[in-house]
Amino acid sequence: MKPILFAVLLGAASLVAQPPKPSNPLGDAPAVAESGRLLYNRSCTSCHGPDGGEGARGPALDFAGRRYFRVSEAAIFDVIKNGIPGTAMPASGLADNDAWRVVAFIRNIRATASDLVVPGEEQNGMAVFTGVGGCSRCHMIRGQGGVLGPDLSSIGAQASLNRLRDALTKERSIPNGYRPVTVTTLKGEIFTGVARNSDAFSLQLLEESSKLRLFDLSEVRSAVFSKQSLMPHGYDKSLSKTQFQDLLAMLSRQTRTKVKATLQGENEVGR
Amino acid sequence: MTVCGIFRAMTLRGIFTAACLTAALTAQVTDRQLHEANSANWLTYNGSYDSRRHSALKQVNVSTVDSLVAKWVFHVPNATALQTVPIVADGVMYVTQPNEVYAVDARTGRQIWEYHRVPARQKGPNRGVAIWRDKVYFTTPDAFLVALNAASGNVVWEAKLAEASDGYWSPAAPMIVNGKVIAGSAPGDHGLNGFLDAYDATTGERLWRFNPIPKPGEPGSETWAGESWKAGGGNTWLTGSYDPDLNLLYWGIGNPAPDFNGDVRKGDNLYTESVVALDPDTGRLKWYFQFTPHDLMDWDAVEIPVLVDATYEGKPRKLMAHADRNGFYYLLDRATGKFLHGSPFVKQLNWASGLTAAGRPILVPGVEPTLMGTKVCPAAIGAANWMSPAFSPDTGLFYVVAQEGCGIANKSTETFRPGGFQYRATGDVEVRDDTWKVYVRALDLTTGKLMWEQERIGSTGFGGGLLSTAGGLLFSGELNGEFVALEAKNGKALWHFYTGQRITASPITYAVNGRQFVAIAAGSDIMSFGLLK
Repeated sequence: MKPILFAVLLGAASLVAQPPKPSNPLGDAPAVAESGRLLYNRSCTSCHGPDGGEGARGPALDFAGRRYFRVSEAAIFDVIKNGIPGTAMPASGLADNDAWRVVAFIRNIRATASDLVVPGEEQNGMAVFTGVGGCSRCHMIRGQGGVLGPDLSSIGAQASLNRLRDALTKERSIPNGYRPVTVTTLKGEIFTGVARNSDAFSLQLLEESSKLRLFDLSEVRSAVFSKQSLMPHGYDKSLSKTQFQDLLAMLSRQTRTKVKATLQGENEVGR
Repeated sequence: MTVCGIFRAMTLRGIFTAACLTAALTAQVTDRQLHEANSANWLTYNGSYDSRRHSALKQVNVSTVDSLVAKWVFHVPNATALQTVPIVADGVMYVTQPNEVYAVDARTGRQIWEYHRVPARQKGPNRGVAIWRDKVYFTTPDAFLVALNAASGNVVWEAKLAEASDGYWSPAAPMIVNGKVIAGSAPGDHGLNGFLDAYDATTGERLWRFNPIPKPGEPGSETWAGESWKAGGGNTWLTGSYDPDLNLLYWGIGNPAPDFNGDVRKGDNLYTESVVALDPDTGRLKWYFQFTPHDLMDWDAVEIPVLVDATYEGKPRKLMAHADRNGFYYLLDRATGKFLHGSPFVKQLNWASGLTAAGRPILVPGVEPTLMGTKVCPAAIGAANWMSPAFSPDTGLFYVVAQEGCGIANKSTETFRPGGFQYRATGDVEVRDDTWKVYVRALDLTTGKLMWEQERIGSTGFGGGLLSTAGGLLFSGELNGEFVALEAKNGKALWHFYTGQRITASPITYAVNGRQFVAIAAGSDIMSFGLLK
């Protein structure tokens, strides 16, 4: 019985085994992705937004807060060629090579900045960060800089290049923990900074000097939140083109990871 | 740049308008604060350099403790049996579990920031941070010492203590002494030789390393037969104490390896099972005292050295009190290391009939691990362990969590394997009969005489450590989940709160805006208590 069973199992295994998923025959070079972007902007923007953004009838393809189910080159290719049954996403009608170009573009906009070759001089970018850009007043990279804004030591591994570029050039919503606030206490003292955390009873204010002030709201006359971020934008205009590109390149190469991990700590040392 | 500066800059950009202030001083924990015991803060693992775990706070006292109520709970995600001792500085509390640090508003329990280390090796526990100036420091399961910005949790620097792939990790809260971070290692049960390091607290540069296992030719190397020193153990997995006047750092050293079979390591095996006194400027050994020469029962001598100045035999002395895992309570002269007194603090102690005039155990022949198993008391878990003791200058009593019980101890001929494998050469089976009991015991400081005891009824093991306060209270966290306030002078239970989780950590106390809090890690939560009004 055993040899027969073994043969049956082998047969089952060969049925289950899948052929390797096809990868993009055109590769993922920047030129391929750029040709894909042009094709995408011609073929897909009746529903999706331009450059992969959100459109009137189709979702954004690189939204940071969204979880995408189709991430491999093969899966994206399949969607472009065949659509998603039961949804408004149709088969595109693009030829295979053009579909692969669009695959390269979509993979490119979803990649973290550190996955891409971003032209620019890292050292000069750091000089902009600490100098004319004023970034290090609020942001820290590997222990150097301010604390009012997020630590950027691993921003290249966390954000896409588009997101980095947007952060430097466009006014964006304020992430939790970074909303500017002015607190006036019952004694009339006034404090400004960002609200790291607040509820109906307490407020944590972080000043630029790194001083944390922890308020019980029963001691506070008013807490006025700003709707505008402290993060300046328009760096593409206030910096020279070279300075901006160097800054972008430097940020894209910051890859010290800071990712949440789950762990249990129950072992008893010394036992 | 001042607060004024940045907000003015934003105004120029047309973004934000705010009142302009003179910048507040950055939160700083100074050397002076570290030297001062009994402030509203809890700045070191055991509350002060002398490790008495005695606070001058007394708003919560024998008269008011009736009104002690839970103020907040901070849940640590994915935690199970926290051993972290919270550090509190200027209203901010820092707590840890392996690979993670959380900053919490000590008045409300609301999180301020969190840090998660990647890559995250699974090895625990973690017992807390150290704090100095604008940084907090902690050690990791992959044997790094990490400095974080205290206001934001941003990483400032990381220093590698040892190779994690060899099996090293570090659970102990570091200690700051004169701008140096003192940090140690854990894997004594793996045959890996320990160390105690000092790092520049500002830059992370290593300044010195003390090797508890001497190399051939060094003093003490004659206490290791053959090449046994190479896999000798001797780790530093708890935090020590410091005397600024003598400028001496005191640290307990763990067990020799293999734990239960001494045949391959004949000799006293220095400086395992010792307390060492080091010059914190250089790491040089000034003196040592070995509690258990040639230990065969994994009785790590890392239990906290408690520093007390008191009259002994008619003369004022600088003393060190230490309740050892081996079952004896010791009193040493901490300037010289001279043994002054030793007596059992558990009733079940069969391996030694007493101590010599020099403090060396008088062994009872045959009471040691054997191939067939021998009953040895205390068990390998010890009569004391990592749960911190306390000393109250008001009562003159030394408080310790004492485990009564025995184990059937076996040995084997296991050999050392590199790569972080256990090298214990077997262990013991605890005799969980009706003599297996846990107590909080109050000992007379100089005589070791039992003054009172309180049984932790319903607890099957040690549980958490102790906290003494000027309010005449002794706080005690029990393994069964009860957090209890005892009257320090007589052990009478005055207050209790059932936390619903096993307690394996030591309590602390602190004050914010004049209101006293008492906090402890229970299971997966940090709980803080204060008076109702």
